[in-house]
Amino acid sequence: MALFPLTSNFEGDFVLQLVAVDTDNTMDEVAAAAAIHSVGRRVRARPGHILRVRQQGATEFLPRDLKVADAGLKPTETVEIIWQAA
Amino acid sequence: MAVLNRMDWYDLARTTNWTPKYVTEDELFPPMLSGEFGLPLSAWEKYDEPYKQTYPEYVKVQREKDAGAYSVKAALERSRIFENADPGWKSVMKAHYGAIARGEYAAASAEARMMRFSKAPGMRNMATLGCMDEIRHGQMQLYFPHEHVSKDRQMDWAFKAYDTNEWAMIAARHFFDDIMMTRDAISVSIMLTFSFETGFTNMQFLGLAADAAEAGDHTFANLISSIQTDESRHAQIGGPALKVLIENGHKAEAQKRVDIAVWGAWKLFSVLTGPIMDYYTPLAHRKQSFKEFMEEWIVAQFERALTDMGLDLPWYWDIFLKDISQTHHGMHLGSYFWRPTLWWNPAAGVTPDERTWLEEKYPGWNDTWGQCWDVFIDNVVDGNMAMTYPETLPYVCNMCQLPILGTPGKGWNVKDYPLEYNGRLYHFGSEVDRWVFEQDPERYAGHLSIVDRFLAGMIQPMNLEGALAYMNLAPGEMGDDAHNYAWAEVYRALRETRKAG
Repeated sequence: MALFPLTSNFEGDFVLQLVAVDTDNTMDEVAAAAAIHSVGRRVRARPGHILRVRQQGATEFLPRDLKVADAGLKPTETVEIIWQAA
Repeated sequence: MAVLNRMDWYDLARTTNWTPKYVTEDELFPPMLSGEFGLPLSAWEKYDEPYKQTYPEYVKVQREKDAGAYSVKAALERSRIFENADPGWKSVMKAHYGAIARGEYAAASAEARMMRFSKAPGMRNMATLGCMDEIRHGQMQLYFPHEHVSKDRQMDWAFKAYDTNEWAMIAARHFFDDIMMTRDAISVSIMLTFSFETGFTNMQFLGLAADAAEAGDHTFANLISSIQTDESRHAQIGGPALKVLIENGHKAEAQKRVDIAVWGAWKLFSVLTGPIMDYYTPLAHRKQSFKEFMEEWIVAQFERALTDMGLDLPWYWDIFLKDISQTHHGMHLGSYFWRPTLWWNPAAGVTPDERTWLEEKYPGWNDTWGQCWDVFIDNVVDGNMAMTYPETLPYVCNMCQLPILGTPGKGWNVKDYPLEYNGRLYHFGSEVDRWVFEQDPERYAGHLSIVDRFLAGMIQPMNLEGALAYMNLAPGEMGDDAHNYAWAEVYRALRETRKAG
């Protein structure tokens, strides 16, 4: 359990942002932490959608319950936070 | 006794190269300072400056220019222009003075390097005058804002900004350190005078002079017009140096220096000048959009300057042409959203009328940038101000030191350009920023961006308060909306009308 910095590239937003998460956080928790800095500030919430996480350039999302420590991410690596219809 | 015409003696008088007997040529002109191009003194003696001026002529003309600018200032000191100016205009002045004044002083040292270490006698003469120009610009752009310091604490940043770790100043210093403080004399002539001054300062000074006159600020208009006349002379130092390099088989090195400097200048202008022209300047006073201005002054004129010189357009020209209609919208939204970190008060510039103008100038603006602003405006109208401020840092580029951004909303294209070098993960805002780093990684690798410093624990406490203290922003200095959100009233009224209907 340790603080882990990631870079959030949130779908619909205009800028990359620093997001501090924990190595024990799941990808759903990473998405929620990123959303705090975009949704309701510059991006509208999308009812009926959930947020998924993928590495930049990947087509596959990371599993929702995958922990940061097990995801093979580098500190400050950019992850894309993408809306997905629930 | 009749006085000879200048051109009868100028060439002879500035033929000041000689063959050193007591030291080697490399000791007299160390390559690290004079330029490592392997060209002997004789090659540089062919340098022919297009604008020839002697010292007595210079003193006479400069005295007249100073008398003009200072007398306008003296005449208008009691006019209360500052007190009555649109807050957006005051922000233009604050941003300009803080970002530019001390940089001019620093440029005097870059000119001095050309003055002492260039092997071209003509360049040494022009740079002597250029150095005095830059001292003059530094002094004037500190003296003129000084009368406003007692009225508005943010005006103090005309002097203070350059010594701080405010994020925009880190970006400005990183750029100017790269192109003028840490380069040899010939590279300075290419990167500072040819690329930055010919390409970009024309725009900052001519555009702002026009805007100042429109805003009724004749003191500022006169000041920067006066400065621009110096710039247009000493900006010509680089052209003949490029010619010498190209004629002696060094086109590739010359081209690379142009490409690096033009990109950095563009990024700096996208955050400094773009928001001023398209958002801060009151709608009634806007002559051209930033994009139109860029197309006329940079694209058309600079393309010609490059090709006339025998150089190619930078390899990234297509990326640049696309970015001039996008990047500065993000720089504006970013600097506005993180407004407590500025030393000026940004104007939002997003009333319905202003948005109509933006949509006309930048088709698709409402579906992209407008979508972010819609959320922001709803929060202001709802009084939900906490959500109009940030709670984290934007990730900044390890080259330009500005936020990594792209187009939001329906045109979402935001992307990181990462690079791992010596075990460290670097982030860049574009393919071009990353390319600049790759040209000389050791030159840039040790620098820490504001985000790197935050992650390294250099900013304490690790929150907005700590960040503001690190940036030397005291209460009364940090930025907020230029019009105190009065512009949102029209949206409040629109909402009431819709409810009533």
